[in-house]
This record gives sequence, C-alpha cells and structure tokens, in this order.
Amino acid sequence: MTLPTYKEMRQQADEVWTRTARPARTLIKVGVATCSRVVGAEETLETLRREVQARRLDADVMLTGCLGLCYAEPLVEVIRPSVPGILYQHMTADKVASLLETAVVADGIAREHALAVMGDKESGGLPSLGSLEFMRGQVRRLMANCGVTDPESIDHYLARGGYEGLVRALRLKPVEVIDEVKKSGLWGRGGAAFSTGLKWEFLYNAKRKPKYLICNADEGDPGSFVNRNLMESDPQLLVEGMIIGGYATEADKGYIYIRDEYPLPVERMELAVAQARERGLVGEGILGSDFSFELEVVRGAGSYVCGDETGLLSSLEDRRGMPKIKPPFPAQAGVFAMPSNINNVESYTNVPLIMRHGADWWAEMGSEKHKGTKMFSLSGQIQRVGILEVPLGTPTSDVVMRMGGGPPKGRKLKAVQPGGPLSGVIPASDVDIPLEPDPYRERGVLMGSGGLVILDDTNCIVDLCVYFEWFAEDESCGRCTTCFAGTRRMLEILRRISSGRGRLADLELIKLLGSIAQNANCFHGQGAPTAVMSMFRFFEGELLEHVERKRCPAKVCRGLVRYEVLHHSDRLPAAEAICPTNAVVRDNGTYRIDQLKCIKCDACREQAPYAIAVVDEFAPA
Amino acid sequence: MFSQASHNSRVKPVDPVAGSPELLVRISELIEDLSADHVDLLKAFHRIQHEFGYLPHEAVPLLAGKFRTTPAIIFGTIDFYSEVRTAPAAETTVEWCSGPACLLKGSLNIRRALEAILECEMNRTSSNGNFGLRLVQCDGTCHLAPLVRQDGRYIGPLTVSESIEWARRLKGEDGAVQTEGEGASAEEESSQTAQKVESE
Repeated sequence: MTLPTYKEMRQQADEVWTRTARPARTLIKVGVATCSRVVGAEETLETLRREVQARRLDADVMLTGCLGLCYAEPLVEVIRPSVPGILYQHMTADKVASLLETAVVADGIAREHALAVMGDKESGGLPSLGSLEFMRGQVRRLMANCGVTDPESIDHYLARGGYEGLVRALRLKPVEVIDEVKKSGLWGRGGAAFSTGLKWEFLYNAKRKPKYLICNADEGDPGSFVNRNLMESDPQLLVEGMIIGGYATEADKGYIYIRDEYPLPVERMELAVAQARERGLVGEGILGSDFSFELEVVRGAGSYVCGDETGLLSSLEDRRGMPKIKPPFPAQAGVFAMPSNINNVESYTNVPLIMRHGADWWAEMGSEKHKGTKMFSLSGQIQRVGILEVPLGTPTSDVVMRMGGGPPKGRKLKAVQPGGPLSGVIPASDVDIPLEPDPYRERGVLMGSGGLVILDDTNCIVDLCVYFEWFAEDESCGRCTTCFAGTRRMLEILRRISSGRGRLADLELIKLLGSIAQNANCFHGQGAPTAVMSMFRFFEGELLEHVERKRCPAKVCRGLVRYEVLHHSDRLPAAEAICPTNAVVRDNGTYRIDQLKCIKCDACREQAPYAIAVVDEFAPA
Repeated sequence: MFSQASHNSRVKPVDPVAGSPELLVRISELIEDLSADHVDLLKAFHRIQHEFGYLPHEAVPLLAGKFRTTPAIIFGTIDFYSEVRTAPAAETTVEWCSGPACLLKGSLNIRRALEAILECEMNRTSSNGNFGLRLVQCDGTCHLAPLVRQDGRYIGPLTVSESIEWARRLKGEDGAVQTEGEGASAEEESSQTAQKVESE
C-alpha cells in the first residue's frame, strides 16, 4: 500500500474544507465538547439532524469543537452561503424547531437566541464575535481551530495548515528543530515554566534506546480545563506536536496520559491518533522519511499525583502512581528506566505553530521576558465561565474583570487563585499584575497551569484553605511523612480554627508545618502549604478574626455561625418544609431553630431570607 | 467539613481459588492480549470495570499472573486509584463535585443536605443499599457549579433548596411530607422522578 504524500493529502483536505468554509448551502455547526455536552449539545445535534432530514431542508449539520464560551453553551452557528455565520447561544434541543423556522426556512435571524456574528464585522444589528467583551483582547493561536473545524476530521486540520510544521521539521535536522524551539523561548506550560527546548535537548543527548516522549494530559488541578478543551476541540494539534517532538528528540514512542475524568478527550484523541496513522503520519517512515514514531493514548484512573511527572511515569509502569525520587531525571531514566521526556499538552501544541510560522513569528506575542500566548480557564464567582487565550503578560484584571465580567453583580472581588490547589491565592489589590510567572512568584504564588478560580466577598479564605489542605491530604501518595502527615496535621489545625477552637499557638504551628513540607520529595508536598502561606501573607486579619474573636466575617465557617429566626415572615412554613432535618420548629405559632438538629445547610434561609439569618456563634448578633 | 473517611475499606481478603469459573474465564478473556511493561494495567482495570461495573476481587490473582507481579502489588495499585471501584455501585449513585468553583458557590451546604436526606455518608452506601454518594473531582464543567451528577446526567447550578427537592423526589418522598410505607412503591416513583429531572 502506498501512502499519500503531504501534497496529495492537502489537496484532498482543501476540497473537504471548502465545503465547510464556503458552503454552497446552509451549514449548521453544533459545538460538542464536555462543557456543552453536559447542557445537552448532543441532543441538540441529534434533533437538528433529524429535523433537517424530516423537513427536507437544504442544509447540512456539522459537529465542531468548543469556542470556549462555556457560559453560553450549547452554541449553534448557522452559516448561510456567502454570509458570515451567526452564533446562537443556549440552544437546547427544545429550541431547535424555532431556530430552523426563523434562521433556515425564513432565512432570517432568530434574534432572541442570537449571540454574535462570526468574525470581526458587525452585521444585521448583531455585534461581531470579536467585539464581545469575552473575546476582545484574546489572541487565538492554539485555539484557532476550536469551534471552527470538526475535531473528528483530520482533513479540516490539514486544510487549515495542519502538519505544515511537521513537513518543515522533517526537512531540518533534529538539532535544528530543537534550536528553533529554544529560540522561540517556549517554556513548559504545566506550571514549572522550564524551557521546553532545553528539556528536549536532554532527551536528544541521551544515548540509550528506546526513548519515550510523554504528554501529561492529566489535568488534575480542580478548576483548570484548558487542556481538555484543546484535546477535544483540536486533537490533531497535539498529535502533530508530539510527532515533531519525537523527531527532534529521536524518540521511538509517545504516550498521551489523559485523566479518567475526561472521557471525551480520550475518545477524540484516540480517533485522532488512528486517523493520523491511516495517513502515514504516525508509525513507520513518516511522510516518506526514515523517521518512525508510535503514539498511544493512555487513560488514567483518578489520581492527582499522576499529574506530577514522575508520578505519571510510575503510573505508566503498572504501579501505584507515586512520584519517584530525582535524580535520576526522566531524561536519563524515565519510564521503564529508559530516557523519557514529559511535557504538558499546551507545551506540545505550541510546537506545530513554531515550526509552521517560525520562532520569530511565535515570539511576537507576549511580554518582554515571556513569549507566546497562554490559555486560561475562568471559574468560580465569575459572570462568564469559559476558556480564553491571551498573550502572556496581559494584566490579570483584564482577564478576570473585563473578559470574565468579574464577580456577580453587587459583589466585590476578593482574591484570585491562579492555577490549582498548590498555587496559592493573590488578593484583589494585586489583581492588576501581569499574567506571567515572575510577578506571581514575587508574591509567593505559582502561576500554574492556567485555571483561574475567582473568589468574592461571600467566600471565606479559611474555608478555602481547609479545602486545599483536604485535597492535598486526600491526594498525597504516602511516600513522604512531611507530606502525608504534614498535610493531615495542617488540615486538623485548620479545621480546628474553622470550628472555633483555634488558638494563637496554631499560627506558629502552621508556619512550621509549611516550612517542613519543603522537604517533601515532589511538588505535591512542597506546594501543599502555598495557599495557607498566602493566607498568612494577604489575609492575616481575616485569619486572626477566626482565631482570636471566633468570628467568620463571610459567615461561611460552619463552627462559627448558627442560624436564628430573627423576624416573623409568611415564608417560615416553607422553611419548615424544606429543612432536611426538621430543625425549624414551630412552638405556639412562633418559629425557632433547634440548634442540635440544624446541619447549617442554608436551605431555610434561602426560603425565608427576611426571617432567618446567619449570626455569629460566639459574638453578639 | 470533608469526611475524613474518604477511602472506603475496599480491600477484601482474597481466596486464590474463589470465584465462579465463568467469571474467571471472562476476566481472562478480557485481559488476554495485555502484558506487563506495556502500559496495560490501567487498560485492564478499565476493561474489567466496563464489563462488570466494578473490579471483582477475583480478578486480582489473574492480573497478578498476567502482569508478573504479586497480588499485593495489584491490590496496592487498585487501592491507589480513586476511580477503580472494588464493590458494585448502589442502584442509584449521586456524584457530588468537590471542586473549588462548586465549593465557592456553596456545594458544602448541598453535601450536608444530601447526606441528611439520602441517609448516607459521602463515599458510602445508604443502609438500605438504594443510594450511594460519591465524591468526584472537578472536570471543568464549572458553568454548572454547584452541581451533582446522577448516572452521567449533570444537574446544576443548584440552590440548596433545589437540591433538597431533587433528592426527595429521587428518594420517592412526596414534597416535604415524609410518607409512611416506602418499599415497593418507592422504586416506581423514583423512575418517574428521573423523567421529571430529565425534562428540566
């Protein structure tokens, strides 16, 4: 069997893509990714296909990835021939009929659902997608195909310039590819910010064979979901990045380790690898060269420390995913004791762009010191939850307050947690700092992998630290005493504080535990106290309020508050009915709360907000 | 706050010759083409769990043989991963997201309410075996925060009151009034509630 050359593949792909880019009849695109699937995008897609067929409409229905506008999902784009497409938001299956009626049959615009016109020019009274607050200021390089192409079609990827980077790389020597990556200044996007080119050089210089190239797609940081979006919206980009990496480091085999919580990315990556293999882009003699590279998708089984590079190696070796002791470093003895290299999804996916357009083009974006773009996910107390891509060095406030819309109306920003439970938090007063590693590091915080979680004034910092320490304790692998016992002790103390039994001596104890934790083997142990340390640094007043006055200013910590009926209102019977433990008691027509039964779940206050209030347990109301 | 007993005592003593022959044959078939040092153990877990809904302890000696290691090492590996279950799931499992976005939006209140109504602690099964509560990690569907999942269906964003009403319907209780004599009729009602929720 002879495999097609790149030129032939590209020709075929262009034909396929033209039908999507310049459709001869109406084309309806439905974004199906994890974030839209959970609000019914698959039903929307099915209903659209069924309805279009049943009504014999002159239209095609196509699957696409995710634009990153999680807050508006499910998104449907309707493109009529030679007019820019119109994006409709919140298109659940029940709205399909009315959409087809207005947008396809009547050839108009379904205004009540319309969000924007694709592209940069407004038309028909609708704003352009690029002018939406969420999109303005974004530079979409990694996400160029997200929500535009069909993630299950390699042709779409090829036609949009895919694998050009690989073709160029194959013409160069491996060292030259590494030099190009080094020249771009790309550093690891997983959090450690180590130069990717240098890391590749270590593997290239390793003499033993076989060599392994591993992609860390175990995006375990709760609140980060940027890698997920890339893998399910543009899986071929990662495949190409891995192949170029394999060529540059002379690796023989690649593994993409995806966490178990991401079933759709696993599915789409497996399909993408299979399609690439069919076209001769993975396997023996790639594109007619004598370079061979195998690629395999591995599905994890639910463990946070498998996102640590050596923890991931242990997991690949059929063992408990416990991080190993370094040295030896993975480049000397990694998986199966053979030379290995591990990078984050975003690090690999930048490489095809560097090879396609050159390092100089790539380095145009970004700040003085940190080049390129970075993807961030926004979640927590924010109006627009979503995924965006901005040049490094963009002010944090620009992303959080403008693009994300800041906290819900009437609330104030309190803090931003930049990337994962081990990264710490920055206070609202520092929200203007640029999004790049240095300013964060100066504040004892790690920029991490890009999952921005936003806190507002209804949130308690002690409560959040209890969560982070619980998470660190729960996910500790159990190797280092400083980690598994240290985090447990830390958690006990924090729980004591949040239950009203904190003492001043605890504060010293926490600081001591924080410094002891630095002796842990891997970053999980070392990073576990970061959040608590940033609480000391930025929110000491609030912490002291908990310890000295036994008061939780945000009225969140369960041990420091109680629910009381303060007024009478006719909503009280509803509060009595909703209470899961029958703690709202009626005595002779008046209501009170049985404090022994109350589990402080807040349901009664939701029902009767005027009558029932949260009061301090230990201070006068 | 968070339950300290987040890991069940999942490891049961194993009898090397236990298990029905059919079960052992089926497991052997599932792991036939796998081998040690080929990143296959996780694949084996997933295949077996996909087939049976959990990883029967009878599989451990077979896996040990296949992967040329001891049953103890296999046990240790199984125990390490939170998504590998060693007991059949309850008839209805409610999954509660523990992520930070949900937390900041009040998921702990929802957790307390669910535990009270389903009479079930986190990561445990209720005493009548009908309900299980499971803590799951954030998968980035934070626009639905705070959320719970039931049989792969995402339900959110929830207020505490909504979650209480939902859990009561799930349990087959009518509104807020505790009904006597559950049992047979409870099952029918819970299937009706499933439809209700779906249409929401």
